[in-house]
Amino acid sequence: MFLALKEIKHEKLRYGLIILMIFLISYLIFMLSSLAVGLASENTQAIDSWSAKKIVLNKNSNISLSQSILTKKDLKDDDIGKNEAYIGQVAVVVKSKNRPSVSAQFLGIKKDQFIYKDQVLVAGKRGKGKTEITVDSSLRDKGYRLGDKISLNGSARKYKIVGFVNNAKINIAPIIYGSFATWRKLRMVAPNVAAAAIVSKNANYKYNYKDAKTYPIATFINKLPGYTAQNMTFGLMIGFLFVISLIIIAVFLYILTMQKMHNLAVMRAQGIPSKTLVGATVSQSIILVVVGVIIALILMWVTAAVLPAAVPMSFTTTIMIAGTLGMLVMGIIGSLIPIRSILKVDPAKAIGE
Amino acid sequence: MAVIELKDVEKIYGKGDAQVEALKDINFEADKSELVLIMGPSGAGKSTFLTIAGSLQKPTSGQVIINREDISKFSDKKRNSLRLNEIGFILQAYNLVPYLTVHDQFVLVDKVKKEDNLSKEDLDKLLEDLGITKLVKKYPNELSGGQQQRVAIARALYANPAILLADEPTASLDTQNVEEVGKLFKKLAKEREKAILIVTHDPRLEKYADHIYEMMDGKMSQKK
Repeated sequence: MFLALKEIKHEKLRYGLIILMIFLISYLIFMLSSLAVGLASENTQAIDSWSAKKIVLNKNSNISLSQSILTKKDLKDDDIGKNEAYIGQVAVVVKSKNRPSVSAQFLGIKKDQFIYKDQVLVAGKRGKGKTEITVDSSLRDKGYRLGDKISLNGSARKYKIVGFVNNAKINIAPIIYGSFATWRKLRMVAPNVAAAAIVSKNANYKYNYKDAKTYPIATFINKLPGYTAQNMTFGLMIGFLFVISLIIIAVFLYILTMQKMHNLAVMRAQGIPSKTLVGATVSQSIILVVVGVIIALILMWVTAAVLPAAVPMSFTTTIMIAGTLGMLVMGIIGSLIPIRSILKVDPAKAIGE
Repeated sequence: MAVIELKDVEKIYGKGDAQVEALKDINFEADKSELVLIMGPSGAGKSTFLTIAGSLQKPTSGQVIINREDISKFSDKKRNSLRLNEIGFILQAYNLVPYLTVHDQFVLVDKVKKEDNLSKEDLDKLLEDLGITKLVKKYPNELSGGQQQRVAIARALYANPAILLADEPTASLDTQNVEEVGKLFKKLAKEREKAILIVTHDPRLEKYADHIYEMMDGKMSQKK
């Protein structure tokens, strides 16, 4: 550590440039990770808020809620307890006078079931009648207010916003919670249709009958349109950034080590143990990574604070810890590359040069 | 009893037709408080002698005895420890660690060798004797050649070694400075009871030496 710190202090520009590289990569990793988690979260916010473990869909729906229809026959023998809830879903466009149009997902829910009861209201109350709705709080950011009367898909009937709910997004679209009757009307379903799906909080729940089939919620989430592709894209980018950081650290430290081979030979001639020189290189790498990552973390906090709420960014503690540990691991692996050269330094080279 | 002794030492580099016999049947010894010169032209084997006497490499055959112990079969780790504790080097280009101040050059020794280094008082006295007390906060690139050499001497002595090996210490000095360095080495050998071996082709140092060995084509003979 002593040699590492002294060298960094003396060679400020050289090591400053490496720190700059590490900072930029770390910042990009934190930014992409936050966007990935933010976007993923907006896909599944509502599902997470329901603590759903299983979902029953029509087996011909390709595990898609918007394609699923369960008839009364399909649900003839279903077992609906306090952990289960029917849902009906339809894509809608929300319109109101003097407010921007918003694409949303209407979810029909039943008042005696857990999704209705578990709504976390940030303002207002739960909707009761056919025309009362609660909506995701992101609509409030877009100017919608309690008491606003809105139309859904250009309907003549107006629906009144009576409450704003937190964490109510699915597939990035805000959710409008309303009655089952409204869903039937908007979806224009036949009278024999009972629901689009059954959601259960019970991990052991299973109901397979006629066209109804139970799926784990993870399977359902992975089939959300674009969800897997989006996560894989972000994962790939973040993975590449880690590999790039590994290469940068390894190459820089290798070049620096090669440049000071004579110094290393002199120190070995003076009896400085190899472990001291190896320790200096590894700790140098750790110091560079830690400083670079700390600067990146500070800038990320600032970025997260100033970015508008519309940007789906979620800079979580998990991202901070995972990103920092990932960079540290890359730094340590990178520092191992020049170690072989250090161990092979011939102290006799110090003489006669 | 000699502090350092080489018995029938040979060093051969390469194999077959490319084989070079760098040292041939070398017998040498130096006691404490002695200043010994090893002289000879370039390519005579002086540097090879220094690397073997300094345990930087092993001889092909023969014995290298330091403090009554044959070190020629020592492992790398043991030779490293020997160099740290018993041998001080003063190299041709002084070779101070460029990113350490003069003071930190000694701290580095403290970091790896916890015992038997010079006390603070002894170090202060040494720095005063060498006239570099005011340079302790400076980096090597802020020092003149002569100053760097004196710092290198102080660093080599700081670990309190029994043997001091110097490689062409007067290579880039004018006559006045050569005289000063000669006197300084003589004084260090006598007052600090070190065996000082100087590899050089500079005849201006001869008058300070207790013994002089000459090397030619890998062979050594005693001149004085």
